[in-house]
Amino acid sequence: MTMLGYQNKVLRINLTEKTASTEPLRMDFAEKYVGSKGLAIRYMYEELKPGIDALGPDNKLFLTTGPFTGTPIPCSGKLSVAAKSPATGTMNDCSIGGHAGIRIKFAGYDMVIFEGTLDKPGYVVIDNGTVEFKDAEEYWGKGSHETEAALAEQYGLEYSILSIGPAGENLSNMACINSDYYRQAGRGGIGAVMGSKKMKAILIKGTGGVKVPDITKATDRILEILHEDVLQEDNTFVFDCGTTAFLEACNDGGILPWKNFSDTTDVQWTEYNGDVLIQHREGKRGCGSCGLGCGNFLKIGDAVCEGPEYETISVAGPNAGLRDPYIIVKYNMVADDVGLDTISAGDTIVWAMEMTEKGIHDFGVKFGDGEGMIQLLRDMATRTGAGADLADGVKAAAEKYGGMDFAMQVKGLEYPQYEPRGSWGMALSYAISDRGACHMRSYAPNAEVFEASIPPYTPEGKGQLVYDLQEFNAIKFSLCICDFWGTISYEIMAELLTLITGREWTVEEMSEVGRRVINIARAFNQREGFNRTHDTVPKRVVKEALQSGPAAGQVIPPEAFEDMLDQYYEVMGWNKDGTMPEELIQSLL
Amino acid sequence: MKRLKFNKANCIGCQLCSQVCSAYKEGEYIPSKARIAIETYYDKGTLKYADHFCILCGLCAKACPVEAIHVTDHIEVEMDVCCGCGLCQEKCPKNVIKIRDEKAYICDTCGGDPKCVKTCPQNALTFE
Repeated sequence: MTMLGYQNKVLRINLTEKTASTEPLRMDFAEKYVGSKGLAIRYMYEELKPGIDALGPDNKLFLTTGPFTGTPIPCSGKLSVAAKSPATGTMNDCSIGGHAGIRIKFAGYDMVIFEGTLDKPGYVVIDNGTVEFKDAEEYWGKGSHETEAALAEQYGLEYSILSIGPAGENLSNMACINSDYYRQAGRGGIGAVMGSKKMKAILIKGTGGVKVPDITKATDRILEILHEDVLQEDNTFVFDCGTTAFLEACNDGGILPWKNFSDTTDVQWTEYNGDVLIQHREGKRGCGSCGLGCGNFLKIGDAVCEGPEYETISVAGPNAGLRDPYIIVKYNMVADDVGLDTISAGDTIVWAMEMTEKGIHDFGVKFGDGEGMIQLLRDMATRTGAGADLADGVKAAAEKYGGMDFAMQVKGLEYPQYEPRGSWGMALSYAISDRGACHMRSYAPNAEVFEASIPPYTPEGKGQLVYDLQEFNAIKFSLCICDFWGTISYEIMAELLTLITGREWTVEEMSEVGRRVINIARAFNQREGFNRTHDTVPKRVVKEALQSGPAAGQVIPPEAFEDMLDQYYEVMGWNKDGTMPEELIQSLL
Repeated sequence: MKRLKFNKANCIGCQLCSQVCSAYKEGEYIPSKARIAIETYYDKGTLKYADHFCILCGLCAKACPVEAIHVTDHIEVEMDVCCGCGLCQEKCPKNVIKIRDEKAYICDTCGGDPKCVKTCPQNALTFE
């Protein structure tokens, strides 16, 4: 069985044998999981044996597109990059922008699966139907930016490049994969998986096309949707200022973290706000098939980045006791270049700052030390000095040195920059997220704080709220639609999928796919031994009341957190202990 | 005569222009066969722009040895006359002409109502 909109083909690359082969896409999987995120997780469930070492040859790296990839459906240019996570032991799917996803599709594939391990550092070049294995000794140890520049010079603009920095080579649990210099598959140590395969870079060139049933009808409608739904104020703020806009909203809402989540709110937030940063902007850039263009390419002195995103502003700003736009941009640049996730690396460093200030262990860095923070990035990437103890993230460091109560993580993945005591649903979001603390699975602050449509400081209704948000993102990301098309509806998703594939999809089916994607991820994790005891909240959130800002006095009582978990499991039809009934698992396959 | 204009300050490099062009002209989403190719890229820490689009200069028509190319308010190629020699492609200052199967494929600005302009989400492309 084949379906239009897909290439109906998987490229499987065995790095140990240095061979490549193609096979039909499992359309039975595509029918149930559509593409991108969902399809990748279904393949992982099928192909990754339980208990494998995430950094061993049995783990696989899945690059997965979706039926919209390569079409002019706006915001559809992202690529799912997935593997078992070395940081958490869970499944992990990341989403990376740029053009690599589109080029994989135009090269003729829905997915590329990397298996095994190269015997020495190398890179892989995919040029439409051909695959070459190249030596990467000269790039090993180099930063991602230098590596990409050298490869772009050699191969030209027709290639997209995915690469890792020293952090990926040295198997840091926080290592990311970079593309187009400034875009990342950031979380869960996905770059370490690539590093464990000794794969410094992946190059992709694709010059083919994508066929759909009635291209004039589809394109006419896509253009209407672009102008009527995508290009409206609720979405176009990302062109004006990107996610820097969240700083004011989070500060005003009492969820901007301060000094390792010990408090919230900074009265001097305007010193590093978006309008200050954007004064240094040199250009705008989006991903392929974008339409909105969130990327702020900016320079402050010798510091260059595309961003900085809210997360990075927060973690290299108030969460580190800092207010310096230059340090924020420099931190962003160095993290990208050495190949570290800005969120996880940042949370680990600000925890080390607190450990040092409390006299528990001296990591040589204190709050407000911007240069020290940036040096630690380099040291973590190369496992040097204090960086060696921090390279595997805050959970591993706290297991060694103490301070677990204020190690802000779930399942070994560090907290994104939304303080849950000011948005209780976010504590649940982080706890039940399939890959550890993630803000992209479900994002409660919109309802709880920005729109204030649901009270933030209560467990009431949070199980359903978080589920609804999670289901929506699960199908949206399985269609590889970018988060920033915030106004997209289930109706539009179903209509577009029908236009692209020629098979009639309903709104109810979109909902079912979303639920299935959440469940298959949970099933993968359950097979790895995860249950309710792993759906946790850092002690700080349930023990210490916030001191400042709109959420001052707030702390989430442990019983309220447990109540939210109960609600969520009930909505999901899971058991009280967080496990799934066997018949539910069977229904997913 | 109206011409395509490109304002790089507005361009986000999304390439929706070439995807939509190929849809209406080739019946497939295949930017490599589009009559327009605009992209942005980073080079040595600088954001750069590659803008290949027809400016209706008419140099292709002048170069054509068999008079297959006609310029009015847009360009038309008589495919049964075109010999695929590629001289038009050599002369094109915007490097936008593609030769395939011994035929020249040139932007006709959709007969005076270019779809790429209608598509461009940030008004980087205009027709004026």
